[in-house]
Amino acid sequence: MRSTYDGLASSSKSGSGSQRSAGTLSKHILPYSLLSPTVILLAAFLAIPFFSLFYYGVHKTDLQGVSTYVGLNNFVILFREARFLQNLQATLLYLVGVLTISIPLAYFAAVLISSNMRGVGVLRTIFLIPWVLAPVVTALLFKTMMDPTSGPITMLLKWIFGQPVYLTLTPSGARLVIILHSAWRSFPFEMLLIAAGITSIPGELYEAARVDGANLWKQFRYITLPLTRVQLFSAVLMISVWTIQDAEGVYALTQGGPGYATEVTGVRLFKEAFLYFNISLASSIGIALIVLSVIIMTIYLRILGKGEAA
Amino acid sequence: MSRTRLIFAWVGVVFIAVMIIFPVYWGVRTALVDNYNRQLIPTELTLDNYRFLFQGGRFVDNIYNSLFVSLGSVAATLPLALLGGYALARFEFPGKRYSIVLLVLPLLPAIAVLVALIMYVRSLGLYNTLYAVILANTVFSLPFAVWMVRGFMLSIPREIEEAALIDGCAPLAALFRIAMPLAAPGLIAVGIFVLISAWNNYLFSFAFTTKTPLQIVPAALLGYITAWGTNYGGMNAAATVAMMPPLIFFLAFQKWFVQGMLAGSTK
Repeated sequence: MRSTYDGLASSSKSGSGSQRSAGTLSKHILPYSLLSPTVILLAAFLAIPFFSLFYYGVHKTDLQGVSTYVGLNNFVILFREARFLQNLQATLLYLVGVLTISIPLAYFAAVLISSNMRGVGVLRTIFLIPWVLAPVVTALLFKTMMDPTSGPITMLLKWIFGQPVYLTLTPSGARLVIILHSAWRSFPFEMLLIAAGITSIPGELYEAARVDGANLWKQFRYITLPLTRVQLFSAVLMISVWTIQDAEGVYALTQGGPGYATEVTGVRLFKEAFLYFNISLASSIGIALIVLSVIIMTIYLRILGKGEAA
Repeated sequence: MSRTRLIFAWVGVVFIAVMIIFPVYWGVRTALVDNYNRQLIPTELTLDNYRFLFQGGRFVDNIYNSLFVSLGSVAATLPLALLGGYALARFEFPGKRYSIVLLVLPLLPAIAVLVALIMYVRSLGLYNTLYAVILANTVFSLPFAVWMVRGFMLSIPREIEEAALIDGCAPLAALFRIAMPLAAPGLIAVGIFVLISAWNNYLFSFAFTTKTPLQIVPAALLGYITAWGTNYGGMNAAATVAMMPPLIFFLAFQKWFVQGMLAGSTK
């Protein structure tokens, strides 16, 4: 793919070299006009709202819609608030939990669907199901399974431990439930990316390793893992960013409860914006969420850059 | 493959498959039995939960809204993505390197931008209309859709179009008559991506419409979750309706869809 692209780029460059004196705009009028609807739409409905978010973030808007400039006051209030710090803490735990559970699972599933076992196609289809279902639907499926009185998981736990374990009713249980749900939803996408990496590894590497007497774990540790590093990083990056922004799944599952135990930043933003219509506060939380996303992206790109240079 | 490896692999397969299928199975089971039934494999099935769900006809409105929003989003996104993706795949022009922004945009929190977008949609007079929901879906899936089309166009050999251009074919005709039919699987993949995202998303519907008759299915389902308490039969009946279109389209076009997602996720 990469080489085709380079070939195209150079061929069109050499083709247009003779008319370089012509005006840039008129020469490139076709690609610009093809792209203009997309650019205009994104500028109007993504870029402008994005920047007005920063306007709302530094203003205080009352119920009459009158807004006064308050500088960074909204953020000062936010970061002094125990509830928001708890939101951030819940988000971090959620992120770490989801990655810890979903990444090993994704590797395991990716190795399985990249093997030459019979029925691999059917397996891949089944493994991808959580990925195409709506967050609110899967949240309900998990809620149904973990209902304190009728859920099969609740009954299973009661049978194992000999006493009732009510997952959704305790803070730590509820945290575990949102993590399991999100890991369940996230692992198929990670699996897809990692499997794409695995299929590009030449089979001779594994054969050579087997001849040298490397066991399954060593083959994974010294061939599969290092050679899928780039795919692993993209998967971790995307899932991390989506997990810290997640509101839909968590809100449908617990509404942030019990108390504020599972009120991750996205859920808090959802409540402030769409339930309490507190636009200034919601904007400040939104900006915090954007900053958080950008920090994560920067960290991963740094690591990836260093890894490629080495 | 050695015997131990095979056993190891099959234990893993069964474990993951059960883990994925069981929640879905239990949801379907719950929708088809009455709320007091605790059997793992039920012996008596009933459609009462569906009768309850569809009484009054409001849920039919929700389904209609979902169809309108999903198909509307596809109709709005696909042509734009085709034009934009083609431009990025086939032309060199100043400023092209900024197109990398399209890969970054899907990583920014939609829910944050949505807060400001509500004000905006209000001033346009689109608040409490399904058009606002279509607009939001289009804007948020467009960057990735353009990138997916670009990926598919790059995988089509350029020579056929070049030959047509030399024979005097107009550039736009080359796009519509040659590149578009060749990229059809890719365009279908993009269409399904937009369709499933729009069908599944309750955030935009929740943000832009306050009236329940205007809600799409997932938003209605969220309402049931907070209002119906433990009527799991009724809620799961609604969930089975909500999961049907994504599953059907995914199963029918899986290969193209997966290819498209991978083409869009990488440079």
